[in-house]
Amino acid sequence: MINKEQIFIRRRIEFVAGLMALGLLLLVVRAVDLQWLQSDRLSTMAEKQRYREYVTLAPRGPILDRKGRVLAESVEIPSIAAIADEVPEARINELAKALGYSPRRLQKKLHGRKGFVWLARQVDPVQAEKIMALDIAGVRMEKEWRRYQPLGPVTGHLLGFVGIDGKGLEGIERRWNSQLSGEPGVRQVRRDARGHSLPDGVWLREPTPGKGFTLTLDATIQSIAYAALAEGVHEQQAKGGSVVVMRPADGAILAMVNWPGYNPNDFRHYNPSEWRNRAITDVFEPGSTMKPFTIAAALESGRWQPDSQVFCENGAFRVADYTIHDDHKAGWLDISGILAHSSNIGSAKLAMDVGSTPMFDMLSNVGFGNRSGIGLSGESPGIVLPPERWGPVETANIAFGQGIAVTPLQLAAAFSVFANKGEFVAPRLFSDQVEQRRRVMPEKIASEVLTMLEYATSEDGTGKYAVPEGYRIGGKTGTAQKPNARGGYSKGRYMAVFAGIAPVNDPQLVIVVVVDEPEKSIYGGQVAAPIFRHIAESTLPYLGVSARVDEQAGWRNMAIAAEAPALNGESLVGLSMREVRRYAASRGLRLSVHGSGWVRRYKPSMPLALHEGDVLEVWLND
Amino acid sequence: MEALNLRPWMVLPLLVIATLAGEQVWLSHLRYEMSLDSQRLMAEKEAIKLESSKLRLEIASLTRPDRLREYARSKLGMAPPRPMQVLRP
Repeated sequence: MINKEQIFIRRRIEFVAGLMALGLLLLVVRAVDLQWLQSDRLSTMAEKQRYREYVTLAPRGPILDRKGRVLAESVEIPSIAAIADEVPEARINELAKALGYSPRRLQKKLHGRKGFVWLARQVDPVQAEKIMALDIAGVRMEKEWRRYQPLGPVTGHLLGFVGIDGKGLEGIERRWNSQLSGEPGVRQVRRDARGHSLPDGVWLREPTPGKGFTLTLDATIQSIAYAALAEGVHEQQAKGGSVVVMRPADGAILAMVNWPGYNPNDFRHYNPSEWRNRAITDVFEPGSTMKPFTIAAALESGRWQPDSQVFCENGAFRVADYTIHDDHKAGWLDISGILAHSSNIGSAKLAMDVGSTPMFDMLSNVGFGNRSGIGLSGESPGIVLPPERWGPVETANIAFGQGIAVTPLQLAAAFSVFANKGEFVAPRLFSDQVEQRRRVMPEKIASEVLTMLEYATSEDGTGKYAVPEGYRIGGKTGTAQKPNARGGYSKGRYMAVFAGIAPVNDPQLVIVVVVDEPEKSIYGGQVAAPIFRHIAESTLPYLGVSARVDEQAGWRNMAIAAEAPALNGESLVGLSMREVRRYAASRGLRLSVHGSGWVRRYKPSMPLALHEGDVLEVWLND
Repeated sequence: MEALNLRPWMVLPLLVIATLAGEQVWLSHLRYEMSLDSQRLMAEKEAIKLESSKLRLEIASLTRPDRLREYARSKLGMAPPRPMQVLRP
């Protein structure tokens, strides 16, 4: 009995022990299942619960002007999106009204789609808040960056714009897109049960903020140039125009504008052809603004001096089978006279004497035919034929700016050679760009040409409307026929150009003005020169260069006039043409010259009684 | 009962361990609080950065040279000086 009972108890113990062993075995099985077989999946799940990744946005770098004023900046702005199939049908009308859409248009956007749909991108924050306040299921607000250019059309061509996805599409924004755009960072943090992050977060990828750019541009000068160009183009009923303002000493571009402008903050509403920065992408025939370089090449040859005389064939000169004409017919002119009267024939004769290779070298040394490397995309190198393709006709034409094409920027850089006493300083737009300079002509020749350029803006010259009161200006006008599609010149379509240096005694600015297809007048001196004056007279005081009354006729004191006075006040007979012109200019008289050589007679017989603006007529012979 | 009869030399290490453990807990609590604080400050910094770029943009728009020019002309009756009127620029 006892045995039986003992056996029963023993069996019970064995049973319980067996159960426990089974239980343990099951636990081991489960442990193996969890720890080995499912470990990857489970640890991923656990990590997902514990870890969270945050994306830190890196905004696009700002673009500033030389004084740190904002030219382009990115701001965060809301966009409205939706999960298409979650938006309740019943509230579509309400949502459409808040978005400013027709219900049908909204239906179309959402219809038949399942996932994420943009409803309105980059909307007004107030509007976004109103939409979110409706609390419609499936509608959400996303943050996006939007680029703003506070100066709008004034800087539009230069800076370009950024597309809705934050990618630069034109101008500086496009050329420097990779530097400007930042790289968003990803940070991983552990969260506690309440969702707060624990302090041991790690960067999976560090954010790199977009690099900011500081330009050499001055927002004030840019605005002055834009307004002056707009006014000038409007006044002349022209098609458009470009202006480049450069500081010759270090090549800094202070302004670069084009008209018509477009608003980069709203670029989609403009034609893509209006987005181009024509000051660097479009070329034009520089016309007479090329003559200073022809003269510099002639002086450099050593065969010509500033007072050398050239016979200008009284207005018509045949080269091979081609006749060159002068607008102002002239006989003998000295080299300053060629520039002041803008004689094509005189320039052509000089260039043909100098020869094609030295002419070509001069033009390419001052930057024509090469991209300036200013750091903008789409820059044109211009068109300069290789010297082996220059026959006599080409050489003669290039001497006065035909058969060669340049950009306004190239012309400004080239003119700065005269302002820099013969050194070429490469134009630069970014403040951290290294200055590059090289000597391209002797200092003496640069100063001589500068003196002639000043004479060309005197009352005698074609550029007299370029001179603001109280400043001494050196510059050259130009008018060029526009090429037509057939490779010839079009009738009645011109470009008017003025390139100048202000002030001549201490050059601070080189300004190039190009006006495309002016209607009222075609001459650079009447169309582009007043725009130059407008810009110079507003910009020079701003830069701290004050005007002086006695500077007004300052060119008289230049080297050319430093000789003893040629006239004792009694008679003009026996004076040379140069002397009589100097006398007329010093008194502000308009001179009418017949013949060449020395003065034989003149009218009126009492020149001292003449007033400024009166005509003095002289007859000369050998 | 004999096991609970602790000697003074045994109490000291226990006390030290207990104090260190307590401090550890306190420190981790502090760390947690500070991390919350730093998160809040970081968010504030980001918000201020955004605000400041917005304000910079606003300043740039409001002081746009053409806007000032227009304002000076129409509201203040000013005109650009002739070069001769500028004595000391």
